[in-house]
Amino acid sequence: MSEKALSRVHVLDLTHHVAGPYCTKILADYGADVIKVERPSVGDASRGMGPFPDDKPHPESSGLFLYLNTNKKSITVNMKSLTGLGILKELLKQVDVVVENFSPRVMPSLGLEYEALKKINPSLVMVSISNFGQTGPYRDCRATDLTIWGLSGILYELGEPDREPLKMGSNVAEYVAGLYGALVTLSALYYLDESNIGQHIDVSILEAFHTMQPSMTLVFSYAGFVRKRAGIHFPWGILPCQDGYVGFYLPTQTHWESLCTLLEMPELRDKPEYETPMTREERRDEITAIIVSWLQGKRMEDVFHAAQELRLPLTLVPNPEQLLDMPQHKARRYFVDIEHPVAGKLTYPGAPFKLSETSWQAGRAPLLGEHNEEIYCRRLGYSKEQLVKLREEGVI
Amino acid sequence: MSALPLQGVRIIDACIYWAGPMATGLLADLGAEVIKIESIQRLDYLRLLGGWPTPDGYEWSAVFNGANRNKYGITLNLNHPRGREIFKKLVEIGDVVAESFSPRVMENWGLSYEVLKEINPRVIMLSMPGFGTTGPWRNYVTFGPNVEMVSGMPTISGYPGGGPMMTGYMADPAAGLTGAVAVMVALQHRQRTGRGQHIDLSQIEAVTSFMGGPIMEYAMNRRLQPCRGNRHPSMAPHGVYRCKGDDEWVTITVSSEEEWARFCGAIGNPAWSKEPRFSDTVSRYKNHDDLDKLVEDWTRQHDKREVMQIMQRAGVASTPVLNFAEVLGDPHIKERGFFEVVTRPVTGTHPHPGFPAKFSETPISIRRPAPTLGQDNEDVLTRLLGMTKEEVNQLAEEEIIGTKPQGWAYAMEADEAISRIRDIHTKGGDSKTDT
Repeated sequence: MSEKALSRVHVLDLTHHVAGPYCTKILADYGADVIKVERPSVGDASRGMGPFPDDKPHPESSGLFLYLNTNKKSITVNMKSLTGLGILKELLKQVDVVVENFSPRVMPSLGLEYEALKKINPSLVMVSISNFGQTGPYRDCRATDLTIWGLSGILYELGEPDREPLKMGSNVAEYVAGLYGALVTLSALYYLDESNIGQHIDVSILEAFHTMQPSMTLVFSYAGFVRKRAGIHFPWGILPCQDGYVGFYLPTQTHWESLCTLLEMPELRDKPEYETPMTREERRDEITAIIVSWLQGKRMEDVFHAAQELRLPLTLVPNPEQLLDMPQHKARRYFVDIEHPVAGKLTYPGAPFKLSETSWQAGRAPLLGEHNEEIYCRRLGYSKEQLVKLREEGVI
Repeated sequence: MSALPLQGVRIIDACIYWAGPMATGLLADLGAEVIKIESIQRLDYLRLLGGWPTPDGYEWSAVFNGANRNKYGITLNLNHPRGREIFKKLVEIGDVVAESFSPRVMENWGLSYEVLKEINPRVIMLSMPGFGTTGPWRNYVTFGPNVEMVSGMPTISGYPGGGPMMTGYMADPAAGLTGAVAVMVALQHRQRTGRGQHIDLSQIEAVTSFMGGPIMEYAMNRRLQPCRGNRHPSMAPHGVYRCKGDDEWVTITVSSEEEWARFCGAIGNPAWSKEPRFSDTVSRYKNHDDLDKLVEDWTRQHDKREVMQIMQRAGVASTPVLNFAEVLGDPHIKERGFFEVVTRPVTGTHPHPGFPAKFSETPISIRRPAPTLGQDNEDVLTRLLGMTKEEVNQLAEEEIIGTKPQGWAYAMEADEAISRIRDIHTKGGDSKTDT
């Protein structure tokens, strides 16, 4: 199965850090031709972020960069030089899509706003991903993952009631915005095929992240209250066992009864003080203590399988080491090994979805400027001598 | 009405709960004609999850009404042969079929991809069970919280020194968003080749894809990332600080030495800020507990929005921690027009969150609110399948379609229900209505 779903799609990738690169990674992994433009000698800022093998920083071995830039081609261009801008404009004529995630001031300051790009390539699809969107009073505000969480409404209600609000440990907001970036890119391309009309799409990371919760603004509008931080307590739970953690969610009476069966304590089911969800919640510390003591000395996978026999939504809560070892992931070959000339052979998360007729590619991330010659000479027709000159002038 | 990016794409949507409906909901936002299939015999569980124990409580689920806007809604009993026959007719005229059951369900109904592609070779089928359609665990039960648990995300989350933590809800919309992308990838392929295909999406794999950094850390160094809570290894201070008022907070993150200098200037260059234990990011990270106390001594004296202003003026990233009521009133979100006021039968007029991207040529909006149960039975069956009104009435008589759920016995008054739900959510405890 060598056919790729997106092999016809050509992307000029002006992105850096997480959100933009995750968008173009999805496109590249499913077959799009993605040319990543990086700053000469420095490259994407994520090349400087870890993790690094043996904690030794090296621009070609950042785990974050390697993961987010698979299957792309890297060229270097100094976008602040006139020659560099000229090169970008030549490339823009040859692509269907340009994706950027600069702060909103940057592209216009380089003369690269959508109106200008449209003159170069009238059917271009331009996708801009930014923290707060291209308009509005916070447009130029500084932001990081945590500050986006703050405005989303989500941070306020996570964590324990008597402590500070707590965010999750992964850059969820950026990944989510990257996925939205891929969604709107492909939707705009679909429309382009039907109508021959290109367009500019403004993705706000804040708004994208806000959609990752169960319409709590609508709950407020319907019923006039705001949910308080409640932590994760019975009938939810993530509890320790011998070799890790298991987690459960018991939304119904049937699930509670199955839990009693799992614990081999049918008497709990008949206890009047545990009869209703309300009374169980009042005694949630007591119930949690019973489960914790039962879990002692038990292996997470054994508990998981025993619970699933009872159709009880109890699962293991693996850490990265345990994830890599999970039988389900092995059977589905989710994790993939990718060779890289500097970082070596490493295990990466694989395809987020599998297609029956077209393949996902386990290619590697590019070295900084690795594809300069291919793109400049073979696609844009520069001679080797011109390439040397551009390098000397610091353009590439 | 102006053009929409996915106009002309028809999606037959058998998804229930939240992840699947989120996938098709986003495609509906983008202009696809999505026909959501429920049944009166077994309500979409999402109607129960956020619903109220009142006679029309299944129409009051905010999460359902959020994930299903812009869709048409019909009921169809797929346990009945006539129901499955009608489903196959819809597949014939559909571009995409989406489902999120555990893998055996569609197979048991005789509606596997192998069967559907005989009916319509161009059809794209999205299957998105928790563990995927293959592998030893494929038929295991997972709710959204379980998907989050197995994704790996909880073990890198939590208060420093405490146990793993989760949101309990984020896996569903994240997997759903991935599902929408998957359909678009397959549509792109079909536009070129005319061929459909089957998408096998494991919700767990989709969410684990967000774990690039921590997984690469383990792959490289055989080391597990510690729970850092709100902290960041290369930024300090980086946290959530208490402000003036009750349960009022602000986020502040300082990402470089220049920013640290500006941060200190903004809070009046207190003497402690010059101490060697705070002289660079590494020292500040080491002494983060002490640093947090000192920062909070300052933030406590200020309103959270005032802190944002002071910090942003100094070029330091900072935002107030808004609750969902405050999000609705935030000036930036308002000016962007993110919330759209929509009127829906039963629930009335409310602001609904919109689509998080603006298209210059094909603007996205909420064209129709989430359907009430069976709302479009007659329209879809007559307009799309050419049935007569008599045939539709006959189906209703045989309870293959309908507009009232069977076995819905909740009778509480709305006021009482709201006050009970409010109590549950505001005192901190069980956040779900028992069914």
